Amino acid sequence: MALAYRNGVRIIWEHRQVLRMLVLRDLQKQYTKFRLGYLWTLLEPLGMALVLWFVFTQLLGGQKLGLQPYFLFIAVGILPWWWFSRGVAGAARTFRRNPAILRMSVLPTKIWVIRVVLVAMAEYLLSLPVILIAMLATGTLPGPLIALFPVAIIVQFFLMYGLAMLIAAGAAVIPDLARIVRIVLRATFYLSPVLYSIANIPAGAQVIAAVNPLVGILGLYRIGFWPTEIDSLPHYGISLGVTVAIFIAGSVLFHRLEGRILKEG
Amino acid sequence: MARQRLEPDLEEMLLFADVGINIAKGRRRQGGGRRHRLRRFVGEQSRTGSWVLRGVTAQVAAGESVAVLGLKNSGRTEFLRLAAGTLIPDEGVVRRRAPVLPMIDLGRAFDRGFTVRQNIYLLGGVLGMTPGEVEVALPAIVETARLAPNIDKYLRGASALTRQKLAWTIAMATKAPVIVADGMLVVGDVESRKQCLDQVERLKAAGTTFLVSTDVPRKFEGFFDRAIVLHNGGIVADGAVADGLAHLRELRLASPAADTGKDDTL
Repeated sequence: MALAYRNGVRIIWEHRQVLRMLVLRDLQKQYTKFRLGYLWTLLEPLGMALVLWFVFTQLLGGQKLGLQPYFLFIAVGILPWWWFSRGVAGAARTFRRNPAILRMSVLPTKIWVIRVVLVAMAEYLLSLPVILIAMLATGTLPGPLIALFPVAIIVQFFLMYGLAMLIAAGAAVIPDLARIVRIVLRATFYLSPVLYSIANIPAGAQVIAAVNPLVGILGLYRIGFWPTEIDSLPHYGISLGVTVAIFIAGSVLFHRLEGRILKEG
Repeated sequence: MARQRLEPDLEEMLLFADVGINIAKGRRRQGGGRRHRLRRFVGEQSRTGSWVLRGVTAQVAAGESVAVLGLKNSGRTEFLRLAAGTLIPDEGVVRRRAPVLPMIDLGRAFDRGFTVRQNIYLLGGVLGMTPGEVEVALPAIVETARLAPNIDKYLRGASALTRQKLAWTIAMATKAPVIVADGMLVVGDVESRKQCLDQVERLKAAGTTFLVSTDVPRKFEGFFDRAIVLHNGGIVADGAVADGLAHLRELRLASPAADTGKDDTL
């Protein structure tokens, strides 16, 4: 725990200037590549939410999936999901993209993982206006529990950080892991309550489902709009515990494998 | 936890104590290409690895200039990376008194999708400078690398020589007390090489410590105080530059197929 804190959190503060530069450059690179630049960050999830809304309410209308208004429900779920899937996919490429940088970098090895984590998080924060648009489109206002939204962001940050350390270190040593991650990601989409609410699945299965840390995180994001989501609070506790475990496991594994990772340079 | 843990009380500038590094066969200097993955899938590549260096004990005093000699694949790059801390030894320990600048494949740190200015911040950052420090050094870097008109253009437009010179200039701007270089100490065209050499000589006179992997062309012989010869994973000679060069010639004669491949750079 102490190691996880010392090497995980303090490092960000100590290298904040370099990290800010790296993240800003990466974002700038992405946004100048396309003509619509930043707009894609809004258009892409918006389009995805529209398609899912159309399929699940208009085409398969009879089913009672998720909570109403469904368009907002999807929007609130799809954005953290994108952060998750992009962050995980990016983590697998961390040391594959340019391993030569390890030869001359006097920065801590973990900086390259944190860079990927922060870029994914920045993209997520920049895509949040999509939720505002969905609120306007559906005419919904959140309640006071929306105060838990930032808490969800912090919890997801630690989840992403822990996962990124696990995956980046693993993929540097076993290249095949990048492939496995892609398959697991696809399955995780359906196993996570993005399209549905945790309350939609049988009560007995909910405890097992809550081992997926995204259950708790998506719940926290949604409580502000749908206060009934608070009924599953005990499950969120399980998710939170798993998040902490992943973060500690990531810190320990990365520390252990650092020598091996450097040999890939 | 910074990569280079410094020990200000250390007597020597750099100290290798019984250092060994084991790297899986065929992985060195290869990167993770598709072929690599396929071979691993087929299982041809074992996990055993081999000792690139083992039982290496050496020291470098402050202000000393040491040439690292050896045939191809004699572990020179690994030796330098260990010195700079960009490789962690499997056995033994490397200790250092002051920050070490690794001038190893510097150009590979550049990102072609970034502008010249952004790349200066990137490489400066990788070499341990804060963005604030890079900002201060920026005008001088741009001036020396002759890139002033192109500073906000993408680096992919620049020639290989220009990129080399830019990397070199950024590295020099770090003002590190110890420079560890894999070739690269003198770069660019004839005029630029002379400029580099002047600068390096000035730094040496000012007390900078050098550890350089090179074949020591005749005219640089005077630059080095000492030569270390690496062969078969260990140090086979450590002493006067002339003796080191003689030793290297013997090694070359014994295995003519092994070329050092670093003739064109100091």
